[in-house]
Amino acid sequence: MAEIAGDETPPLPSSSGAEESSLLSSPPSPTAISGDEPPPRTRKPGTKRLVLTASVLLSFLVGLPLLLKSTEIHRSPLPSDAIADLSRRLQSHPPSFPCGLHAVFLRSGPGSPVASLADQLERAISTQHHLLPASSTAGNISVSVTIQSGGGCTSSTAAASPWRCGLLTAADSVRDDEVFDELLHSALGGRDGDGMKVYTIVIAEDDDGKGTRVVIGKHRHAWVVGKVDEAEALSLIGNVFIKYFMNGGIEEGETGIGKGEFMPVGSDGNVVLSFSLLNADPNDWVYDWEFKNIGERILTPVVEALRPVADINIESQVLYHTPKSSYSYSDDKLGGNVLSMGDIPFFVNSNEWHLDTSISATGRSKVLQFVVYIPSARECPLYLQLPDGELSKTNAFISPMWGGVVIWNPPGCSVGSKKAHGTRRQMSSQELMETLEIFIGQLRQLFGLKPNYHAQGMDVATKFLVSEKGFAQWELDLLYRHHACSNLLSCVATLESLSSLVQSLPRMIVMDEIGRQVCSSTTLAEWIVHGHLLQYFFIYFSATVFDSE
Amino acid sequence: MMMPPSTARRLCFLSLLLLLLLLAAAASATADAAAAEEFTEELLLRPLPDRKALAHFHFRSSAPPASAAGRHHHLFPKAISQLVQKFHISELELSFTQGRWNYEQWGGYDPMSTNNAKPPGVELWAIFDLPLAEIDATWKNLTHTLSGLFCASINFLESSTAFSAPRWGFKLNEGNLRYGALPREAVCTENLTPWLKLLPCRDKAGIASLLYRPSVYKGYYHSQKLKLKSSQSLGIILDQTLTVVLQPNTVSGKQLHSTGGQLQPSWSMEHLFSKKLSGKCLVSKSSRVFVEIEKGIVDNVDKAGSDVSSNNDLFVLSTAPDRSLKELDNLEVQSSSLYEYDVNNYNSDKPLNVGITWKLPLIWSCTRAPYHASRFLMGSGNERGSIAMSFLSTGLDKQLVDSSNDCSIKAVVFQVVPWYVKVYYHSLEVFIDGNSKAISEVVDKIHVTPSEDKLLPGTMEMLLKFPCSMQLATLTLDFDKGFLHIDEYPPDANQGFDIPSALVSFPEFNSSRSYPEADPLFVSPLLENFKEDGVVKSYTEVLLVPLTTPDFSMPYNVITFTCTVLALYFGSLLNALRRRIGEEERGLKKAALVRELQFALLQSQSQMLRWSTIYFFCWI
Repeated sequence: MAEIAGDETPPLPSSSGAEESSLLSSPPSPTAISGDEPPPRTRKPGTKRLVLTASVLLSFLVGLPLLLKSTEIHRSPLPSDAIADLSRRLQSHPPSFPCGLHAVFLRSGPGSPVASLADQLERAISTQHHLLPASSTAGNISVSVTIQSGGGCTSSTAAASPWRCGLLTAADSVRDDEVFDELLHSALGGRDGDGMKVYTIVIAEDDDGKGTRVVIGKHRHAWVVGKVDEAEALSLIGNVFIKYFMNGGIEEGETGIGKGEFMPVGSDGNVVLSFSLLNADPNDWVYDWEFKNIGERILTPVVEALRPVADINIESQVLYHTPKSSYSYSDDKLGGNVLSMGDIPFFVNSNEWHLDTSISATGRSKVLQFVVYIPSARECPLYLQLPDGELSKTNAFISPMWGGVVIWNPPGCSVGSKKAHGTRRQMSSQELMETLEIFIGQLRQLFGLKPNYHAQGMDVATKFLVSEKGFAQWELDLLYRHHACSNLLSCVATLESLSSLVQSLPRMIVMDEIGRQVCSSTTLAEWIVHGHLLQYFFIYFSATVFDSE
Repeated sequence: MMMPPSTARRLCFLSLLLLLLLLAAAASATADAAAAEEFTEELLLRPLPDRKALAHFHFRSSAPPASAAGRHHHLFPKAISQLVQKFHISELELSFTQGRWNYEQWGGYDPMSTNNAKPPGVELWAIFDLPLAEIDATWKNLTHTLSGLFCASINFLESSTAFSAPRWGFKLNEGNLRYGALPREAVCTENLTPWLKLLPCRDKAGIASLLYRPSVYKGYYHSQKLKLKSSQSLGIILDQTLTVVLQPNTVSGKQLHSTGGQLQPSWSMEHLFSKKLSGKCLVSKSSRVFVEIEKGIVDNVDKAGSDVSSNNDLFVLSTAPDRSLKELDNLEVQSSSLYEYDVNNYNSDKPLNVGITWKLPLIWSCTRAPYHASRFLMGSGNERGSIAMSFLSTGLDKQLVDSSNDCSIKAVVFQVVPWYVKVYYHSLEVFIDGNSKAISEVVDKIHVTPSEDKLLPGTMEMLLKFPCSMQLATLTLDFDKGFLHIDEYPPDANQGFDIPSALVSFPEFNSSRSYPEADPLFVSPLLENFKEDGVVKSYTEVLLVPLTTPDFSMPYNVITFTCTVLALYFGSLLNALRRRIGEEERGLKKAALVRELQFALLQSQSQMLRWSTIYFFCWI
C-alpha cells in the first residue's frame, strides 16, 4: 500500500493511498483522532486512482474476448423455422394420395343405357365422400361410372379405368366367386400396376332371390350381387369404398393401420422375419421342422407382395432348453394346462430364449420374431385362455413391434402323458403349414391390418376372398399409403425434435455435417409436402442417414 | 524286393478295388453329412505331473454346404453361419485365455500344448476369402461383430496399429491372413456365456453342464477357443474348445501316497467340477469322455511289468471304460493311453463320475518341446531397452536327432510389437552358448515390417537354424520407447504396456498323434484334431514395458497456479483501491473499547449465574 504512494511525494493527502502514507509517516492530526466520523475529503480523487481503476477494468476487458473465444462452441445453423412450418403444414393438411373410384353397373335388361344417367350417378357418388374420415390417407378421389346393359356401355365423362365392355355380364356373377374375381380382373385390364389406384365396384343386377351380397376381391375391386335399387347401390358403393378400400375395415376406436400404430419396418426398409422352434425341454421330446422347404414356399408370395413396403428376409432356427417364464395352471375341466391372458407379458423368457438379433439385419433393420413354443411333457397340452374364459382358437398371441408366439401342442400329448424320453421327431408338413398360416395372420396384424374380417356394420352379407399372398391388392395399397405417410411423419417428427433439442440446449455442439443433412432433409420434406411424391424415396433415404448419425 | 508280375497285378487290382470302396464310403459319408447338421461333445481329462488336472472340452458343430446357410439352421448357431457368410471367412480362430500354459510341467510336445495353449488375453486370426484390397475393411467389421457377439473389447483390434498380416511366420498364407492380440483383456464369465450360447444345449445338459463357473475360474489356466473352418465343399465346421487346468478339490486325508512330501492327488470329475455328468445333450450325435494317461505314466506301468489297463499296479480308474485306445506319436512310438466312456450309457440315475486313484507314488514328466523359449526385457530407464529371447535346450533333440556336427534344428519366431516400442531390427544380435555369432550363421530367413508411428505395428518373422549341440541361444533387439499423446494412454498408464506374446514354432517337430487300433467307424472330432498335422508351437511370456508417462495432473496444476496468481493480483489491487488504513485503525481502537466493555458485562453475568445455580441446588 505504502509503496504505491512511495513513488511520488504529494504535497497534501489527495487520494486514500496518499492519505495512508501520510498517516503512517506523520503524526495524526487532532481532528482525525477526536471525531468519530471519517475525516472529510478535502480534494477529489486524483488521476492515479482513475488510472489504476481503468487498468483493472481494461485487463478484464482484454481478457473477456479471450475467455469467450476459448469457451465458444460451434453450432451449425439449423432451419428450425422451416421445420416448424413443415410440421404445422403436415398437421393441418395430412399427406394424401389421389385415387379413383369406378362404379360399374351391370344391367341385364336390353337396350342401350342413357348417357346422362352415368353422369348423374357419378355426381351422386361424389357427394358421399365427405363421409371419409379425417385420418384416412386418401386424397382427392376421382369418381367415374360405367353402365353396361344388353345394348352396350355408357361411361361418364371421366372414366378412369378401362372397362372392356361386354366381357362380363350380370349372369356371370352366379359363378364361383374366385372365377368371377379373375374374370373381373381381366375385364378391368388385368393390371395391378402403378399409377393412380382405381378401385372398381361392380353392381351386378341378379334376381335369383338369394338376397344381396357383397364380395370383396383379391385385387382392387368388389362386387355386389343381388337385386338392389339405385339408392341402395349408391350407399353400398360408398360404404365398401370408404370402409374397406380406404380404411381396411378398421373402425373408429380400434387399433390398426392409420390409428397411431407404427409399422414394424426398419428405417432402412429392411425386415428380418426370424422363425424359431423352441423345444422347452428336450428331455421329453425333441421336434424339428422342415422349414427350409415348406416355410420358404409358403412365405415367398407374402415376401414378394410386401416388397414395395419392406425388403423381407426369412431365417429359421431350432432352439433347445427354452422354458417359458410364466406359470400355467392345470385345469381338469379343459383337460390341460391353461395360461391366462394376464401371464402373457411374462411368457417370453429373455434369459433362456436366445433368439438373437440377426447379423444379416444390419444397421437399423427391424427383426420380427415368430416363435413356435413346444411345451414340455409336464405342461402339455398348454392352452391360452381368453379373458372371457374361452380358449384361444389359434393358441397364439402377438406382441406389437416384437413378433408373435404360437403354442404348439405336439400330437398325442395329454395330461399325464408319458415322456417320450428324448425321441427326435419331425413336425409334420400339415402342422407346419397351419402354424405358418397363423404367422401370416400375425404378420398382418403386426402391419396393422385385421387378421380376418367380419362384416361388421354392413347390412348385407359380405365375403372376402383370401389371397394366397396373405395380402389382397387393396390391402397392400393401404399399407403403401400408410407406410409413405408414417415415414414422412416420422421424418418430420425427428427433424422437429432435433430442432427443439438444439434450441433447448444452447451449449450443444452442432456439427456442420449434421446441419447440412438437416437442411437437405428439410428441403426434400418440403418438396413432398408440396406434392412431389416421387421424391419421397430421397427424403426417406436422407432421413435414414440422418437418423443413423 | 522283387515280386512276380502276376502278384503285382493282383495287388494293384486289389488296391484299386480298395480305393474304390474307400471312395464310395467317403461319398456316402459326405452324402450323410450333407443331409443334416451335426453336433458332438467330448471331454478329455488328464492328470498332470504337478498335482493338477487338465480338462479339455471339445464341441463340434458342423453345417453342410447349403444354399440356405445363414438362414435356416437346426443345430448350427445361426450367428456364426451369418458371420461366415457376411465376412467371407475361410478360417477363423478366437481365443480367450487367462493364465499362462506351463510348457515345462504340462507338456510342450503334444497336440494339447500345440493347438490349445494360447497366449494370455485375446488372440484372433482370420483368413478371408476375399480380394486383398477388401480384407482390411472386412477385418475391422469382423472385430466389431465379434466384440458384440462375445462381450469383449475385440473392437480394439480394429485399429491398424493393432493387427498385422504375417506371411509365413504364423501360418503360411497368401496375404489374406490377419492376426491381432490383446494381451491385457480380462477373461471371465461374461465371455463364457455367449460362447455357451452357440451350443445347442448351452450348459443345460450334456458335457457342458460340468462347467461350474467357480471351479473353472479358480483354475490355473483356462482358455476358451472358437475355431471355424468354412469351405464350399465341407460347409462350416465350428470347433469350440475350453481347456482348463485345475487343482482337484480333494480332501487330503483320502490321499493314499505321498511323493517326497508332495501328494499326487486322486481325483474324480466331482472333485474337479463339483458335479457329476448326468447324461448327454440329447441332440448331440456322440458324447464321449476320455481319460488320457501320459507317456510318462505308461512307461512307468510298463516298467512295473503290468498291462496298461484301467486297473493296474500304479493306478485305477473309478469307472471301467467302454474302450481303450493306444496313441502313437508321429514317430510311431506309443505316447499315451486313452480310455473312452460313452456318455450315452449314463443318465441322471446313473451319473458318470470318472476318476483316477493312485496306488503307488509316482513321479513322471511330460514330453517337452526341443527348446524352452522365453522372452524378457533388458535395460533400465524410460528411454530405451532391449528385448531378449532365449532358447534353452530341453535335451529332446539328443533323443531324436543324431548329434553330428552339421545337424541343425529350425525354429520360427513370429513377434508383433506395438509402434510405441520402436525396435531397431538392425541391432539384432545372436549369442549361442554365450558366444556372439554372425547373424547369417543363425538366421536363415527374416521378414520384417517396421512399425510406423500411430499407423502400423512392427512385425518380425524369422526362421532360425540352431546347431543341435547348442545349449542356449539368446537373441537381443534394441528398442526406443516412443511417446504417446496424453489421450492415448490407457487408464493406469503407470502399470506399463503389454507386448503380445511371441510365437515360436519348430517346423521339424510334429505333435500329431495316430490311433492304429481305433475302429474306422469310430469318429471323434477331438481325436481327429489330434491327428491333424501339428507343428510344435509355444508362446512366450507377455512383456510389460514401462513407458514414460506424462504428469497427468499437470493441466490441473497449471490452472490452479494461474488462477492463484490472478486472484492475488486482482485481490491486492482492489484491496489497495478500496481500503483506507487510517480509518480502519481508528475503527479497531473503537472495537477494542467495545470488547472490553462487553467482557466486563459477561463476567458479572456469569458470577450471577453461578450464584443462582448454587441457590437452586441448596433449595432442592
